[in-house]
Amino acid sequence: MNLLREITTLLRKEVLLEYRQKYAISGILLYVLSTVYIVYAASVQIEQKIWYSLFWIIILFASVNAIAKSFMQENSSRQLYYYSLANPIAVILSKIIYNFLLLLFLSVLCYGAFSVVAGNPVRDNFLFFVILLLGSTGFSICFTFISSISSKASNGATLMAVLSFPLIIPILMILIKLSAQSLRLIQDTSYTKDILILIAIDLILLSLSLVLFPYLWRD
Amino acid sequence: MIKHWWKILSVVIILYTFIAGLLMPLKPGITSISPARAKAGETISMKVAGYNTHFTQAGKEVKAWLTLDSDAKKKMALSAGKIQAISDQELIIDFTLPPALPVKAKVKDCSLLLDNPIDGSSILPSAIFISQDKLVGDTAGWGDLPKKSLHQATGMKFPFRNILSETIRNLFYHVPLWFGMMLIFLVAMIYSVLYLRSSDPLHDNKATSLVVSGTLFGLLGLVTGAIWAKNTWGQYWSWDIKQNMSAIAMLIYLAYFVLRQSFEDRERKARISAVYNIFAFAALIPLLFVIPRLTDSLHPGNGGNPGFGGEDLDNTMRLVFYPAIIGWTLFGFWLAELYYRIANLRDQQEESEYIFDKGIQKI
Repeated sequence: MNLLREITTLLRKEVLLEYRQKYAISGILLYVLSTVYIVYAASVQIEQKIWYSLFWIIILFASVNAIAKSFMQENSSRQLYYYSLANPIAVILSKIIYNFLLLLFLSVLCYGAFSVVAGNPVRDNFLFFVILLLGSTGFSICFTFISSISSKASNGATLMAVLSFPLIIPILMILIKLSAQSLRLIQDTSYTKDILILIAIDLILLSLSLVLFPYLWRD
Repeated sequence: MIKHWWKILSVVIILYTFIAGLLMPLKPGITSISPARAKAGETISMKVAGYNTHFTQAGKEVKAWLTLDSDAKKKMALSAGKIQAISDQELIIDFTLPPALPVKAKVKDCSLLLDNPIDGSSILPSAIFISQDKLVGDTAGWGDLPKKSLHQATGMKFPFRNILSETIRNLFYHVPLWFGMMLIFLVAMIYSVLYLRSSDPLHDNKATSLVVSGTLFGLLGLVTGAIWAKNTWGQYWSWDIKQNMSAIAMLIYLAYFVLRQSFEDRERKARISAVYNIFAFAALIPLLFVIPRLTDSLHPGNGGNPGFGGEDLDNTMRLVFYPAIIGWTLFGFWLAELYYRIANLRDQQEESEYIFDKGIQKI
């Protein structure tokens, strides 16, 4: 299929670009590690209750920083070149998939680093991994789309935070609730319902991004 | 004049909600009693404070019972001894409690039921907790609930609810403002879709004006909610999930204005803000209707609480509540229309200035 080939090609381009400009990815990695260290240094004893909140706050800021550049780093003439070659849906999908992989890597890394400095209170490892997977999906869809909006404006970085933080809160709230479940801090037998709601929100945002992105494309 | 009938209608309805909603009295009710605790076998003299009641006027016709649920279906009642009316709002009722309760529980909550021909019947749920030592479940002294002899309050009055009391009238302002906001945002979203399909700047002006009036309604909804919360929950802002999520919903729409101000080019501004508006509306639905249901909340209709309905929303309330929804929504659309006309004039002015500048350059 043509779309599929476009997506894989664009995805390969993203990975190649990241590999060649190593400063971006290494900057984000250092960002995550230093934030984890600062959190540890600021509060030596981290209780279970704040463990998962801090974890998601670190992931939130790291992913905003990681994704904000996804449309800003390439200049407009090069974007025009892509537009003339590829289907807009392939462009946004390849970015979302790439950012999803990046965020998954970041959150697993953050989980590892956090476990080393602050201990690992997670009881239900499978559920926690599902949460990381769903969280990366939601964050990557929402932030990639908002970054494509904010990259059009001159004050892109500010706009990215202003637009994306309120929009991500529904996803973040469910993620935090599910994390508490995976730490066995709350007992909720109906958490599969929360997972389904999260998937539904992700799907709605994804389909809207696919429908609306061609309109952002046009200039 | 014929064209503007809906504006006139909205003003008439809003005036009606102010007059009927604020002036119509509440039904008589019981605000407090003391003592709130007693032992079986005692004789207690209970001080009762009424609201909008006419105890002296009713005189000897005032009757009182303590009622309890003896099992899931049956209610039992204990009628009062001497009843003495101190004023229209104050009663002293003597109860001789039988040595045993008709239930096998250490402590049982009883409701106080008052009845007189002027005020009708009123009830204070879980008014007094009665404890007993022997768990025999003896029904001696307890009778059936005198359902048939109770009076009905007459006249157009709003129901009296404990904790809510007079603030029940806020239902005509707080709830219609949120209903109106949702409808206005929905129409704004539709105009954004239309704009993306047609690129007609008038559609963009319509969407923006609707977002302006919807955001205003949302902020007013937050304020009326906070005032209501102060009187019922104790604080203006108790970090309740519903309050937080509504505040965040407002942030989403305030960001819409920041986004618009970030662009110089008219067409680009319109297109990108239309895209954001559609995306924002999709994020608004889980924020206001899904997330508050997942955790504990004080707000009716969330966190396992029953919604505002049933006995609270009786026919007299409906008589004001339903028109209030229509009136406030129409008012919101009127506000949006005014803003829309201003936006169009501003566009025309910019255009004529542009033509004027071009003319100057030619000379």
